[in-house]
Amino acid sequence: MSTTGQPREAVIEIRNLTKIYRDFWGRKKVRAVNALSLDVYKGEVFGLLGPNGSGKTTTLKMLLGLLFPTEGEIKILGQSASDVRKNERIGYLPEESYLYRFLTGEETLDFYGRLFNMSGADRKQRTDELLKLVKVEHARKRQLKEYSKGMTRRIGLAQALINHPDLILLDEPTSGLDPLGSRDMKDLILDLKAQGKTIVMCSHLLADVQDVCDRIAILYGGELKVLGRVDELLKTQNQTQVLSSQLTPAAQAEVEAVLKKHGAQYQVDHPTANLEELFLRTVQESKDRPGRRLIADDPANKV
Amino acid sequence: MNFDAVPFPVLYSFILWAIVIGSATSIVLVISLMATIVSVGVRGPLVFANELGAMVGDLISLSPRRIFALAQLTFREAIRRKALMVFVVFAILFMFAGWFMSSSNLAPEFQVKIYVSFVLRAISWLILPVVLLLACWGIPEDIRLRSMHTVVTKPARRLELVIGRMVGYSFVGLIVLAVMSVVGWGWINRQLPVAAQSQLVCRQPIEGGLTFLDREGNPSEKGINVGDIRMFHSFIEGATKARAIWTFNGVGDQSLDREGNLLLENRFQAFRSHKGDMRRSIYFQYTFVNPETNVRVPYPLKTIDEGRGRTDRINRTLVNVGESADGKKYDIVNDLVTKSGQLTVEVACVDPGQYLGMARPDLFVRTADLPFAYGYFKAVACIGMMMLLVIFMGVSVSTFVKGPVATFLVFSVVMVSYTARDFMGKIVGDPFVLAKAREWSGQLDMQKLEGGGVLESIYRILWHMNPTTDLPVGASTTIMKWIDAGLVNFLWLVYRVIPNLDYFGQSMQYVANGFDVRFDACVLPCILTTLAYFGPCVLLGYFALRVRELEAK
Amino acid sequence: MNNLTSQQRKFVYLGAILLLLIPIIWLGMPADGTPDSGGTISRLRQQLDLGESDLGDLDPSGAAMNLALLGLRGVAANILWMQADEQKNYKDWAELRVTTESIIRLQPHYVKVWEYNGWNLAFNVSAEWDAVPDRYFWVKEGGKFLQRGVERNRRSPDLKWHVGRVYGPKIGLSDEARFFRRYFYQDPDPQYAKGPDPEFNNAGEDNYLAAKRWFQVANDAEKEQRQSIMDRSIFRSYPARSQLDYAAALYKYGFREEYDREVGDRKLTDEEAKALEIRVREKLKEQTRQAWALGLEDWTIRYGQELFAVEYLPGIIVQMRLEMGEDEIRSLGKSPDGIAQLRRAVDQYQKMNNYRYWRTRALCESEPETAEAHWALFAAGEEYRKQSPAARTFAEQSMALFEKTLEKYPELRDEDNFVEEALTSVLVWSLYMRLEGEKPPEMYPLKSLWEEKQERVPEIERRFERDSRAAY
Repeated sequence: MSTTGQPREAVIEIRNLTKIYRDFWGRKKVRAVNALSLDVYKGEVFGLLGPNGSGKTTTLKMLLGLLFPTEGEIKILGQSASDVRKNERIGYLPEESYLYRFLTGEETLDFYGRLFNMSGADRKQRTDELLKLVKVEHARKRQLKEYSKGMTRRIGLAQALINHPDLILLDEPTSGLDPLGSRDMKDLILDLKAQGKTIVMCSHLLADVQDVCDRIAILYGGELKVLGRVDELLKTQNQTQVLSSQLTPAAQAEVEAVLKKHGAQYQVDHPTANLEELFLRTVQESKDRPGRRLIADDPANKV
Repeated sequence: MNFDAVPFPVLYSFILWAIVIGSATSIVLVISLMATIVSVGVRGPLVFANELGAMVGDLISLSPRRIFALAQLTFREAIRRKALMVFVVFAILFMFAGWFMSSSNLAPEFQVKIYVSFVLRAISWLILPVVLLLACWGIPEDIRLRSMHTVVTKPARRLELVIGRMVGYSFVGLIVLAVMSVVGWGWINRQLPVAAQSQLVCRQPIEGGLTFLDREGNPSEKGINVGDIRMFHSFIEGATKARAIWTFNGVGDQSLDREGNLLLENRFQAFRSHKGDMRRSIYFQYTFVNPETNVRVPYPLKTIDEGRGRTDRINRTLVNVGESADGKKYDIVNDLVTKSGQLTVEVACVDPGQYLGMARPDLFVRTADLPFAYGYFKAVACIGMMMLLVIFMGVSVSTFVKGPVATFLVFSVVMVSYTARDFMGKIVGDPFVLAKAREWSGQLDMQKLEGGGVLESIYRILWHMNPTTDLPVGASTTIMKWIDAGLVNFLWLVYRVIPNLDYFGQSMQYVANGFDVRFDACVLPCILTTLAYFGPCVLLGYFALRVRELEAK
Repeated sequence: MNNLTSQQRKFVYLGAILLLLIPIIWLGMPADGTPDSGGTISRLRQQLDLGESDLGDLDPSGAAMNLALLGLRGVAANILWMQADEQKNYKDWAELRVTTESIIRLQPHYVKVWEYNGWNLAFNVSAEWDAVPDRYFWVKEGGKFLQRGVERNRRSPDLKWHVGRVYGPKIGLSDEARFFRRYFYQDPDPQYAKGPDPEFNNAGEDNYLAAKRWFQVANDAEKEQRQSIMDRSIFRSYPARSQLDYAAALYKYGFREEYDREVGDRKLTDEEAKALEIRVREKLKEQTRQAWALGLEDWTIRYGQELFAVEYLPGIIVQMRLEMGEDEIRSLGKSPDGIAQLRRAVDQYQKMNNYRYWRTRALCESEPETAEAHWALFAAGEEYRKQSPAARTFAEQSMALFEKTLEKYPELRDEDNFVEEALTSVLVWSLYMRLEGEKPPEMYPLKSLWEEKQERVPEIERRFERDSRAAY
């Protein structure tokens, strides 16, 4: 992990982003994203979390220029979201299989390669490389409609990586994968991070997010509720966790005695604090007290 | 030929095109500027200018490789989604067509006409719906399935996407068309009764200009009308001074056949005011005139062959035994054609009380025929142009409406073009439509429709005023006329935006009637029409794709 | 199927499609008119005389087309009708013919559709052409078309009657009748090698006899199903009328037709020609008389004795025959009122059908003397044309015979046809006398008629001049 406190290059800057869906008559229907501001820094894995309808996919699509913001600004790799040139350095794995199902695995990669104006030789080499990387080499001549869901995700990831992107946007990268595939995907993400790429992912699978993300944002009802480093967010400020293994009951009693002496409230339990808890708590509190920001920006943000 | 083929007015059409594109573009730009200002506020003009700049940027940074990738994708999609099933329908149609056509006893030239027009019509009726559906459903499906997300998040420009789609469908269409036309050509050659095979040619006519003399011998623009519903042909009375005078340009040695004969072919019609001698058709006479030397050489009387036409092989050496009979020999090319290569042929009807009918294309110098395939594939090319036009419109429209709506819209445009375009043309006063209407009705002084615009017409109907009565003077009349003028101008724009599909249909008529498809009067207009729609369709599609959110909601 | 690759599966489908096509072709191919042609269904239909009894033959190809149109038959038919109309305006006859074909594929059981299009081809399109062989071609097209309509609609008497009309009046009464009648047994189309078009005149018979057959078939059908063309009493007169027309045509055109048929491509010497002329004349004299005799029988017995129930006055229906004697009227009429009514009805219907005229004419023409008179007049005309003295002899002979006939049937004095012929004989005679510079004698046969009908002479003279000018 990089050090805190020193200025970091922002790959994505979102300022005051609002998206209102209107109906046919132009009447406001849904406020999908409301005054969202956040930055994503170079080299980090950033997780966007939120329940269904919280606005995370909308945000992602605005980043990609698929949707146009109602208000606010997006800078992505220093360019406007509607500027097609930014796509040269972006890789995007869509939520489900939006790939062309009548193409074979090989044709798919070749096609997307050409959209990057890659030469034939480059495309060939890159296709072979990626097919090996995502382990669908055996099915390269088969049409995608014959692929399993897991294979489709993998080929989807492969196409997102075809241009050696600096910024990778992953929409639910591990959904539909079996545990092993999920493991592979997470390893791959960490590999990419190690290569210095910036990764933004949306996910429901909190365990996965917890495993790979450096920072997360939790959205609820289109608003940012939580933003911060995963490790810090999960650290509860006025609690101290003592982890021990092979503690005998006698030793445990001794420790309890010490705690009692200092008048501390305590609870002896097996450790369970995780992202899931945080997520559920955030959602619950947002429902109870709408409009309130729960956790401040993480200190690194205040440069 | 059954219609008057005139060279396409290229410059005039180009200017019109520029005006239409200019006004349509300005309307779109003004509306979008206002929309931007309304939605963004004072920063509107700036945003608008940026957008415009980006669009221009996209225009100049097109990548052929990306377009090709998208075209290939489109092609694969069409093929793998069974677009080629159309071949099965085509094959079945042709397998069973023989059942319907073999029983006919018609004369060979009609057999040719029937077979050729059947094949060409079958090809266009099969191919147009297929490309229409393909073109109109491609992009909307792409958006619905969100496959397009994976493309537009790559550096592919939305402009390239539109062009790629068009190119891809064009490829599919052209391949289907090529296969169908070759099969159709083979089918014609195989199925056509042997007796009719020799009629399978591609005539190369030299057409002339036609003027008339009336029965007193005074020049007139038209002959007599004998009550045909379509007054395309006009008639000259027999045994009077009435003449039909054709002048052919560019006649020379090269216009004669190998034995040195001038082939004059006519499609004269007869109208009998009494039964006359029923054992023969009515007589006509050609007289070759050289206006420079005043030599007039009549050719022996011939009977017409109504409904089929007749070809006279006229030996280049003619002996003058006619009215001014000097008994001398005249050479057609050297003595009768003027220095500028003009040949004048006067046609007279000989039988008293009978009438000979003709239109400009009904007499022509028939130069050496070309093989049938030559004209046939030209007509196929014109069908191909129409197909491309449908593809362009389909792809373009499908960027802003869903598949079924797009299909219906393009289909409607085609139908309106076939059924109502001429009527609109009469209202807005298009000179070409008026010329066509004059040809039909025989009314040479026909002008654009009377009765004023919508409001004026309603007013006149309610107050029972006929079109010749002047409207009362006043402010309301002025306002009414202003509104009407605005509406007519709008109609003019709509009229101009709807493509003129006449030429595409005419290409089939040429071949079916045994003629070469004229380049300047048919092939060129087909190509230009299609080209004229390419740019605007691309731009419209691009604009629509760019300003819309691709999330299917 | 799961272990097949998708390519294999496609081949299986293709194979299945082809397999399915085989029975379609085998079963459904339409017959081309000759026996035992077409697919199994067509053959079976021919053998067993099946076909839907109400409708007539079903047309598998038309049915297939209807299916393919997915219920848009009405729309498609409308478009085709409009197209046909436009093609007519453009004089695009070949295309019109094809469109017509498509229309009847879609509407094979609409009698009116067949009727209209058949009539359009035989009458309208035919008249648009200048050359008589072309006109004849389209008359044939119309006739054949209507016959196919009959096959599809076996029970309709109307269509059968229309076929008869093409064979009879269209060919026999047109201005081009002289040509049409010949073409009927010597088609101008070289492919028939101077024989008749077997699809149109298979038996090589006279057009009126073919018409008579069709009108008879129509009459038979009319007993089962009402016709909707005209008054029933007229409708049923057509077979007999055709026989009478046949006899009249034989006299009018028969000689030249028969003579040319005998000559064929041969070249005759003058003597041979003369001998042949006499032989043909003699043959026709008998043939014509017999035709009239049969016509008389058809007219007065077959047709005249038929019982019609006619609504004489609104609500009053009387049973009558056209050939009804006074005794029968009395016994059927019962009351004096009834008798008067019946008498008036018979009289009215006789007038309507021109019944008495034809009866008298047939009666008189079937007399050997009348036949003799006719042919003498015919010979007189021919000889006059050659300016041979035989003209006078023949003319005098016919004048005497006509005079005799007139004595026997005084009512003929007011029958146009007879008067014209009688006057023509006097005309030929006087013309020849004028030619020789002789004055007519004081007394001659038919003098009273000649003087009484002087006002008709110029017209008859014109007609005679024209006929003798018109070489056949």
